[in-house]
Amino acid sequence: MTTPPPSVRALTCTSCGGTIALRAAGSTVSLVCEHCGTTLDATDPQLRIIARAHAAMHRPLIALGMRGVLRGTTWEVVGYLERSDGGDGWSEYLLFNPYQGYAFLLDDGRRFSLGFLLDRLPSYTWGEMELDGEGYKRFGSSYATWVKFVVGEFYWRVAVDERVRVSDYVRPGKMISCEENGSERTWTRLWMLEWGEAEAAFGLERRQREWSRPSPHEPSPYRDRLIELTIIGLIAAVTLLIVAIMGGGSTRVASADMQAALDGATHSEIIRDIELPGRNSALTLTARAEQLDNSWIDIDYSLVNRRTQENFDAYALAEHYSGSDSDGSWSEGDSTPSIKLSSIPPGSYDLVVELGAHRWISPSRSLYITSYAPGASPPIPVTITVDRGGMFAGNVILGLILLLIWPAILLFLHFGFEQRRLSPVTEDDDE
Amino acid sequence: MLEANCPNCGAEIRFRSADLPVKVCAYCRSSVVREGESLKAVGRIAEVPEDVSPLQIGVRGRDGALGFELIGRVRWRWTDGGWNEWLMLFDDGSIGWLGEAMGRYMLLRQIAHSGFRTDMVRKLRDGHPVTVGTEATIDGIQYRVTDVKEATCAGGEGELPYSAPLGLTIASVDLMAADGHCASAQKDQGVGEVSVYTGRYVSLADLRASGLRAFEGWPMPQFAA
Repeated sequence: MTTPPPSVRALTCTSCGGTIALRAAGSTVSLVCEHCGTTLDATDPQLRIIARAHAAMHRPLIALGMRGVLRGTTWEVVGYLERSDGGDGWSEYLLFNPYQGYAFLLDDGRRFSLGFLLDRLPSYTWGEMELDGEGYKRFGSSYATWVKFVVGEFYWRVAVDERVRVSDYVRPGKMISCEENGSERTWTRLWMLEWGEAEAAFGLERRQREWSRPSPHEPSPYRDRLIELTIIGLIAAVTLLIVAIMGGGSTRVASADMQAALDGATHSEIIRDIELPGRNSALTLTARAEQLDNSWIDIDYSLVNRRTQENFDAYALAEHYSGSDSDGSWSEGDSTPSIKLSSIPPGSYDLVVELGAHRWISPSRSLYITSYAPGASPPIPVTITVDRGGMFAGNVILGLILLLIWPAILLFLHFGFEQRRLSPVTEDDDE
Repeated sequence: MLEANCPNCGAEIRFRSADLPVKVCAYCRSSVVREGESLKAVGRIAEVPEDVSPLQIGVRGRDGALGFELIGRVRWRWTDGGWNEWLMLFDDGSIGWLGEAMGRYMLLRQIAHSGFRTDMVRKLRDGHPVTVGTEATIDGIQYRVTDVKEATCAGGEGELPYSAPLGLTIASVDLMAADGHCASAQKDQGVGEVSVYTGRYVSLADLRASGLRAFEGWPMPQFAA
């Protein structure tokens, strides 16, 4: 079998005599010598000179003839031009593959995008450009661009200072660009490449990621993480609430009825053998003294581990007052106070409850004070219950805040980015 | 298949299709025209300059279920470039054109007379200017003119439906639709005849093209391997 013909042909520059490559014979129209910058007519066998260089030659970042694989297709760099719209400008590489045709690699100095000429017209509906079922937003107004530097070969007539009017339509990750000159209107769809993708394909140094000046079709770096974290945050928040409600269904481990004598003296009672198996848990100690009337009970709890004698102390106050004054009748005070003990180690416990009940003498009732003899009133029944488990509402709220703080920060960053992305470039007056 | 000898140089020539009247002799580049049983050499057709097209005569492919083979080519040239039109002979005996420009492919078939209901086509026929952006509805599909240019025949090879003498000038109008359909209208600037073609953009992968040209250093794409 014979060797297949090469796709590259060596030519001699009509102007400088240097050897130049023709990589897409048949399609190439303009050939700009990489040595002297002269533009040659590739459709003319004599390589007629079309224009002499009037800019100093320099090398593109990716050399002509370099090959790289982008999204599964091998592309060879055949042409390079620099364009400007009055601002910073950008670079465009013309890529060629004999079986796939042409592609464009755009470099704005930060990100690379891969573009293909469209073989269909986008439709304009509802104020948006639509292509393949995807909407694109108009970005800014149309603007003039011109070629500042050119080298290599092109399937159209290139010339420095050649002007083209461009309109862009964007969506995150993609852009449709419409270029118009006098006789032609072409549409190109650009895909923004991932960070490092083009660098890896063409052996360039990886660029630093930064998002201070996003391209108009740049996907928000925060969007995916925002969605992810919001979902995770919401799942976690719902889980937390479910656990709080379910786990909040605490179990009663002890209960005892006591009497508190209204004599001011304290006395103790002991609830024995409270078993807390398993692991650390929270305990809720509730005292119910619903018959309290203008009196209060100081309740001192002491939970003592029967084996280690380690004790946990707490205090609660049950109280209830009522009366009437110029505003009418009133009542206040909590006759069923609950307190919580957190992280009680497992074990067998005794709960020592010390009760001291006191009568409150309402100023308005001072006349009757003598009618109450100490000890004359019946003792007040108090029911002490011990419940295991349960959540601390404060902790649940704190947990929710912590869970949603990252999504909130990302949301903020995301909208900041979108605003920067879609804010039109500052208009230049010299244009 | 009809085998004969070139009336000019005597080389063996083959007509793949019984319906096509012209064959370019691969040796002397004569345009051999078949009229009934007799063959006549009418002028010469330049060889198409070497290009990096993956297509060549003999390439096979499928348009849906229908197979085809490329049996001829015409090279057109205009002031700012050129393009190829490859003649497709389908397995059912019908013909079509595979237009190749800027690395893109248009599969086109000539339509009979319905094209002349379109304003744009009538304008072209009557010699009125046709401008880029003009809307045109052909056979119910809405197109827009994307390209208007004048081109001359720069060469040819293989079998052809017409004698394409070197220097034949045409006005060529390309049209594009929103759904990938495309069309082309060509006016022979000599005779004034207008032909209308409709079809769609295709890739070589869509056509499952095989027998493509190999190029040194370029792997054959998977669909053709």
